[in-house]
Formats: sequence, structure tokens, C-alpha cells
Amino acid sequence: MNVFALLFLVLGLGLIAWLTARARAARLSRGIAARRLHSLPSQHGWYVATWAVVPALIFIVVWANISPGLITESVLASPAAAQLPGFGFERETILNEAYSLAQGSSQGAFYPVAEQLAPAYAEAITRYNWIGTAIALILAFAFGALAFTRVKPDFRARTRFERAVMLLLLVASLIAILTTLGIFLSLIFESVRFFSIVPVTDFLFGLNWSPQVIRADDPGANLGALPLFWGTFFIGAVIAMLIAIPFGLMSAIYLTQYAPRSFRAWMKPILEILAGVPTVVYGYFAALTVGPLIRDFAVMLGFQFASAESALSAGLVMGIMIIPFVSSMADDSIAAVPTAMRDGSLAMGATTSETIKRVLIPAALPGVVAGILLAVSRAIGETMIVVMAASGAANITLNPFEGATTVTKQIVDLLTGETAFDSPKTLAAFALGLTLFMITFVLNIVALRVVKKYREAYE
Amino acid sequence: MSETLVPQLPTRPEEPASAAPTGWKSDSMQKRIRARYARERRFRMWGLAAVIGSAGFLAFLLVTMLWQGIGGFQRAEIALPIDFKAAALEVTPEQLRGKGADLALASAGLNDVVANAAVAAFGPDGPDYISESAWVTVRDELKARPELLQGRASIDVPASSPIALAAKGDGNDPAVTRVATRLRDEGTLTQGFNIDFLTGSDATDPTGVGIWGALKGSLLTMFITLMIAFPIGVFSAIYLEEYAPRNRWTDLIEVSINNLAAVPSIIFGLLGLAVFLNFLHLPRSAPLVGGMTLALMIMPVIVIAGRNAIKAVPPSIRDAALGIGASRIQVVFHHVLPLALPGILTGTIIGMARALGETAPLLLIGMRAFIVTPPGGVFDPATVLPVQIFLWSDQVSRGFVEKTSAAIIVLLIFLLAMNAVAIYLRNRFETRW
Repeated sequence: MNVFALLFLVLGLGLIAWLTARARAARLSRGIAARRLHSLPSQHGWYVATWAVVPALIFIVVWANISPGLITESVLASPAAAQLPGFGFERETILNEAYSLAQGSSQGAFYPVAEQLAPAYAEAITRYNWIGTAIALILAFAFGALAFTRVKPDFRARTRFERAVMLLLLVASLIAILTTLGIFLSLIFESVRFFSIVPVTDFLFGLNWSPQVIRADDPGANLGALPLFWGTFFIGAVIAMLIAIPFGLMSAIYLTQYAPRSFRAWMKPILEILAGVPTVVYGYFAALTVGPLIRDFAVMLGFQFASAESALSAGLVMGIMIIPFVSSMADDSIAAVPTAMRDGSLAMGATTSETIKRVLIPAALPGVVAGILLAVSRAIGETMIVVMAASGAANITLNPFEGATTVTKQIVDLLTGETAFDSPKTLAAFALGLTLFMITFVLNIVALRVVKKYREAYE
Repeated sequence: MSETLVPQLPTRPEEPASAAPTGWKSDSMQKRIRARYARERRFRMWGLAAVIGSAGFLAFLLVTMLWQGIGGFQRAEIALPIDFKAAALEVTPEQLRGKGADLALASAGLNDVVANAAVAAFGPDGPDYISESAWVTVRDELKARPELLQGRASIDVPASSPIALAAKGDGNDPAVTRVATRLRDEGTLTQGFNIDFLTGSDATDPTGVGIWGALKGSLLTMFITLMIAFPIGVFSAIYLEEYAPRNRWTDLIEVSINNLAAVPSIIFGLLGLAVFLNFLHLPRSAPLVGGMTLALMIMPVIVIAGRNAIKAVPPSIRDAALGIGASRIQVVFHHVLPLALPGILTGTIIGMARALGETAPLLLIGMRAFIVTPPGGVFDPATVLPVQIFLWSDQVSRGFVEKTSAAIIVLLIFLLAMNAVAIYLRNRFETRW
């Protein structure tokens, strides 16, 4: 029986447990007129259903993880397995093939041994599935029945059940910490392995990035990430911001200070669509439409060797994507400035634009700066646009018509090839990821702090 | 009298403006005011230009995609007469109804039969006129009507990429254009709605590709994401907003949620690769792993939206429920949660829309494989719509440009629909307490 059918069955048993326990509690409450139940009948139902479902669910999860190993082991013990080649890639392939044959998901096998193994596999799968199903059902019945016997008028089912719910809520909120910890540990773990091969200083300050050829005697020589950091900064924090800040800020100012109400009601959601367009679409747009346009423009300006994969096309399109982030943060912080300050300035005879430039923007500056920091953090972590539109060549340049490459693009390039998992090449991706995580983490913390502090100042 | 009371202002007749600060009628003051008003108008114009410019970028993007992609929903078809009886394929009708039909037809040489039919119908260049995947259309036709094996039939197969381009007027080879015109005049070449684009899967040949495989992968992935992210997100929002004591632990939870919401998505891909694939050995390329990775990514979005929605429920409702003897769990699950649900759902839909458009983390966990059969379940190898777009965008063949744009149109329609639902929910259930 497959996992989903089993889950369905266990949940069905839970429903039955809920119904029977509730019915019994209801009968008790009717039967003994003098004594009232401590808990409502449905709370008794929930209590019993929890006991029927949770242990069985835990068992199913554990079983799903250990049963493939048990199945493989029993297949290897079968006589047909004697013909298998020793350890290696071929053996794995044959086992996989036999497995999919046994499941009926493939139509034919390349290796004849796989066909001989398939019956053994099918038999083992069936056997272990039935064992798993049986144990899960026994658990559900046993714990459910045990809980059912406790349904008594003065049993505190509500307190017990609510304690379980609180535990569930607490566990759910801990998942955020676990995720952060998981990210941090997995990045650190792989990076430590990387830095045991390549010195940290070579990685952080080296000027040569060409991971295609890694010399065995000096792996750090071709893994200097400084050009990547420069490219990331140049595309994400310079070019993209040169587009996003003026457009975003001026849009926010126009929409909050000048625009008629109905115009604002239409334009604000339209600008927000810019942030909702998938980045792969922007990347395709940058690679197919914007890149060639910019190349033609550069050739017109006299750059002979302009490429369609320029830093400008990636940065430009990324800037467009970032506009709504800057504008909504600016919008919020301008709206947080007390109206009295604005009215005071207007009453002194200043024009609206003078009020904006001399009063509103300076007062809202911390919020605007925080918004820009968040936008920068977003831009340097952005992946698909640079994967599709930026070049792969790492060089340090100030010319926007030349190609530049970024940390995120290199992570994707390093991890999507077919390489062993402990080569310096794949581990370098995790070191790059760690650097990216650190930088964005610091930017986010600073921005969140600034926003929080500044909000309190006016409230 | 008054001269003695009012202090004497220094008056210089030639410069009245500086003499009296409110000399509004003086020329220099008028000039200054005009300049200030001009600056005001210019500033306002810049603001309007920024708004129009940003919206213009969006319009340019959408129009470009629509313009390039609309052709992907159409295809040129050639009516190809095939004599199956003469070809004598070595398959029985029973085989065609069974599970191994695809394999049986492929090994019986259906590919060659179709190529020979093209030679017979259009001369030695015939196989170049029809798509490389034409035999797949024939195969599906045979599977649907096994009786065709006993006779002749004319089957509409997709035209090859150059012919299709020429039929649309984009051809750059005059010889191909002449062939296309001739075939059209004969009535063999027709334009039709490309139903295979909606029902098919990835292929090596642009005329035979479809998005259903990727779409199904996306739907399975979204299902897993929703099943994991929604309960966890809602439960932790409830805990943090309703029960959590103010201490170092809850501060830590809050900081991690706010920070996770801003972590670059590719980092989640690295997490999925290191933990789910390399540590837990879950199946590569499967919607299960993709869904789990994306769930961790959008969970903070749901938590933040959920907390805001719960915060907006007035305390009087909680107090009233507590006052008549409800327990704290009953207060939340019977009163607060139903009132906050529209807000939570809006946040969830926005998060799901973000997950649906996400590509980078899925590339890292291996969902960039070439997958021809739509996934049957969450453990099967699959690809998702954005990744399919990325894979097609890398293809050199010109026919893939319109397919990529057409897939983008489908993706954008899904996203706009989700956002529209979110906006509708927000407007429909927005309550002012």
C-alpha cells in the first residue's frame, strides 16, 4: 500500500475514533443527569482521535525512511542477486531499473539482470508494505482504544488535548529557527570543507575566477572571488539602484503627494505587478529583447566589441524589478511623517515640492534608506535575471557595456554541472552562498533596525 | 503720530523688494515666485514621468511577450497520407491497447514508416517538411484508433520548424517559403490551434513541445508547498501573536522569521540541496523536495501576513469569549481565527504566487531535467513551469522563442489570476472594527 493510501486510512481511523468517542461522551452526559462532564463531548473526541492518529503518523514517517533500505537488503539476499556486479555505478543502475520495473512504472529494462531481480523486488515491496500497514493500524487501534477507555465524566480531556495543541503551535513556530539554523549549518559545514582545500584569503581577495580549470597543486589560484563580488555590487547595487531609486522614489512621491485618489488606486497595484512578475520572465526579457538593444546602442556609441550579455542589460532589468520595493518603502515612510509637519511647511508658504524636498524627505530619510538597503539586498540575491542576462566571464570593469558576472550566477553554474560532490568546484558554491547569506543578513538586520527605530520616533 | 510708533524701516527707492519683505508686486519677487512655481511644475512632471515610465516598462514587457508568444498557441499542420497496410508494422492491436504501446511502436520502426510516407507524398525532401516529432502524433492517433493499421489514413502532423516559420511569413529561406506556399495552395498545409502545446510535454523539437508536463509538476509542487507552509505558517502566527511570552526565545523566533523573509531564494536552494538531497537522501528532481524547499521559503510570508491579520482582530472579541468561559484554545480557534482567515488567505495566495514563479532554488535541487512524461506523483522526476521556461530559453532553435513566450503567457495568466483572487478576498472581507 502506498504512503498516501496509508495516510488516508489512518486519518479515516482518526475520524472514526473522533465520532465514537464523542458519541460515548455524549451518552455519558445524558445518562448521568446529576454529574456533568468536565469536557465537551467533541473534546473527548479530539483527545481520542489525537491518540489514534499521532503515534501511527510518526511510525509512518519513520517507516518510510527505513523501509527502502530493508527492501534492498532482502532483494540482495535473494538468489538472483548473485549475478549483480560488485559495488559501483552499474550496480546502482540495475537496482534502480529493477525497482521501477517492480513498481510497473517502466516499460522495459536495459539489463537482463534487472528483469530477474524485479520479481524479488516486487515481492519485497509488497511484504514490507504490508508489514508497515499492519504496524501502523495496530498502533492506531491500540492507542485509540487505550484513550477511548479513559472517556469518563470527570476525565479532563480538554486540558489534555489543549496541551497537545499548544505543543503543536510551539513546534510550528520553532520551524523558523530550525530553518535559519539549517541554512547556517549547511552553509558553514560545506564552506569549512572548502576552506580546508582553498585558503580563505585566496578566495576572498583573489582576482582570478575560472572554476572550469582547477589546478590540483594550487586549487586557490583559480578560485578568487573578488571579480564576482565586484560584479554583484556593480550590477545589483550600482546599475540597478541608478534605475530603481529615481523611478521608485519619484513614483512614491507623485502617488502620495500629487496624484488624484482614483489614479493612485489604479497605478499602485499596476506598479506592484512589476514585483510579481517571475524573475525568469525578466531574465528572458533581458536576454532576448533588452540585451540586443543595448548592444546595438553600444555599437552606435562606438564600442566595437559590445556584447548582448552586458552588465547594463542585467542591471537595467533588475532595477525595473526593484522599483516597487523602493516605492512602497518610500511610500510607507513618507506616510509616517506627521501631517502637522507637512501642513506647517505649506502654511509657511512653501510650495508642495519644497515641502517634499525640505521637510518630508529629510524626515522620512531613515525609512527611505532602509528601503534602499532592503532593495540592494534583494538585488544582490537575485538569481534568474543574472543567470540569463549577465555574462559568465568574471572581470572587474567600470564599463557597463562589458560583461560582468555575479555570485548567484556562479552558484547556479557550479552546481548544475555533473561533478562529484566533494570537489572544490561544488564546495565553492557553498562558500559563495555563505558570503551572500552573510552580506544580505547584515543588510537586512541594519535595515530592519533602522525602520523599527525610526517608526518609534514618530509614534 | 504713527511715524513715531512704527520703527523706521530703511527705505531705498531703487530696490523696493529687499526693503519690504512682502513686496509681492515687485518684479524680482514676481520672478522668484514664477521660478518657484516652475520648479514645482517640473518636479510634479518628473513624478508623473516616473510613474508613467515604470508602468511603461511593464507594458513593454507584457506586449513583447504577447507579441512573441501568441504564435506558440498556433501551429502549421501538414496532412500526411500514410499506408499502414503496406508498411506492415509489426504490432498487434492488443499491444496498442496495452501498457507497452509506446515502446512497441517505437521498436516496430514507426519513425521510419512516417518518414517513408513523407517521401512518398512530397518527394525526397519530404521528411524535412514534417516535424521530427510527427511520428508521436501518428503514434497517439494509432493508439486511439488501432483499426487504422489495416488501411490508409491521412493524418494531420505538425510541420517542421522552418516550414512553420515560413507559413507565418517569418521564413528567411526563399526555397522553404516557396515550398510552404505551394503546400498551402494545395490545401495540405493548414494553421490550427495547437492543442498539443497545452497537453504535451518537453521535447527536443520545438514543434512538438507542450507545457502540460511542467504545469502538472508545478501543481504537484504547489500542493506540497501549501500542505506544509500553510499549517506551519498559521500555527506559528497564532503562537507568536496569542500565546508567546515576551522573552529571548520569542525574540529569536521573530528575528529569524523576519530575516528568512528577506533571505535570497537561491540560499533556500542550497539548503534543499544540502539537507533534503545530500543528508536525507530524498529523491532528486521530485516535486516533494521542490515543494518542501519552497514551503520553507514562503512560510515567513504566511506568518507575517497571519500575525497582521490576527493582530487586527479587536481584543473585545477575545475578552467576550473568555468572559463566557471559553478556554484560550477555544477563543483562538472558534473566534479569532475565523475572523482573521481572509487576511491569512490573502497572504497565503501572495506567498503561493511567489512560489509558483520561483526558479532558482529548484534549479539547484535538480528540477532542470529533460522530462518527457508528466510526473505521476510527488516522488517522480518533474520540472515546473518557470524552470521549463528557463530550459527552453537556452535552446538555440528559433522555434523555441515563441514556445518560451507562450509558456510565459500561461505562467503570467496563472499569477495574475492568483493575485486577482487575493485582491478580491482583501476587498470582499476587509472589515473595519
